[in-house]
Amino acid sequence: MAHQAHAYHMVDPSPWPLTGAVAALLMTSGLAIWMHFHTMTLMTLGMILLLLTMYQWWRDIIREGTFQGHHTPPVQKGLRYGMILFITSEVFFFLGFFWAFYHSSLAPTPELGGCWPPTGITTLDPFEVPLLNTAVLLASGVTVTWAHHSIMEGLRKQAIQSLALTILLGFYFTFLQGMEYYEAPFTIADGVYGSTFFVATGFHGLHVIIGSTFLAVCLLRQVQYHFTSEHHFGFEAAAWYWHFVDVVWLFLYISIYWWGS
Amino acid sequence: MTQRRAVSGPTGNVRRPGEDERTEWREGLRPGVPPVSSPAIFVTSTKLGCEAGRQMEYLAAIRVPAMRRLIQVSDGVSVHLKKDLIDKLLYRTTMGLRVGGVVYCLVALYVAAQPSNK
Repeated sequence: MAHQAHAYHMVDPSPWPLTGAVAALLMTSGLAIWMHFHTMTLMTLGMILLLLTMYQWWRDIIREGTFQGHHTPPVQKGLRYGMILFITSEVFFFLGFFWAFYHSSLAPTPELGGCWPPTGITTLDPFEVPLLNTAVLLASGVTVTWAHHSIMEGLRKQAIQSLALTILLGFYFTFLQGMEYYEAPFTIADGVYGSTFFVATGFHGLHVIIGSTFLAVCLLRQVQYHFTSEHHFGFEAAAWYWHFVDVVWLFLYISIYWWGS
Repeated sequence: MTQRRAVSGPTGNVRRPGEDERTEWREGLRPGVPPVSSPAIFVTSTKLGCEAGRQMEYLAAIRVPAMRRLIQVSDGVSVHLKKDLIDKLLYRTTMGLRVGGVVYCLVALYVAAQPSNK
């Protein structure tokens, strides 16, 4: 029986990268087909394939790390670099939308009435639901830190409760934001104000849903005893992502909701 | 080729005499940290002694050592097919959707590329 003489992880050949690429092909082509021929079949097929890919790929990573022990310290270091780089790319993604907002709002054109917010736009009061949303996300940042310390101290019950509370706060934010979208006095079609508002806050909302899902998977893993007080990188990655989502909201609140009103 | 499993944190599936699954799992905790959480100030519980064992299995039974034994079997099977039936079913469904999806996509794009007679 041969053994490796290094601490790195030589991964088994996997079908999931190709499957993920095919899912991306189906979703993008499907989007074009939906727009021109009004049929959603191809795009739906792509989304199902994407979900299957994500489930099986991440299931395999859990098997390799938690059950096979391949996530040695050097491997974990690589995973940390990877997550940091991914979050950095997301920061640049949001930077683009903030750039678009400031481009239009710092020098409003005559077509908008030469002012910001544009003539005819009734903005949302930043000290009502948006302020509650801010409090909810800040509180969830506290609870996720509480969960981390509980895991590190080996306090199982507290870890589960604080993590569950974090997820509930995330769902509460999503619910409140959904209500705001429904009740808003303007739409995405209402000029550049509507476009910048709904695209920026809409993508942020999507990231809140992604972050909540990531934390929910961590909760399931914590219940199943996957995490130890020394080794719980999956949870740390979820917590980093959650803090990133929180910070993006703070920038959104200050720029679009408060200054922009 | 089989890779030696480098385990960090809890021990692998090796047990010392007198140990059970709980002991194996408890070794994942830092030394000196009790496996049972100390009661928070707003929880009043007077049944610490006899419930210490049961508290370890709060909400779910410990299945990690059993999963380790299953997944670490050295049979040359890739990690994505280790659990036999369910893994095969998911894999074949995904492959079917992948191949069928590519064919459907190419046909749809070919049809969409035809000039319209408007």
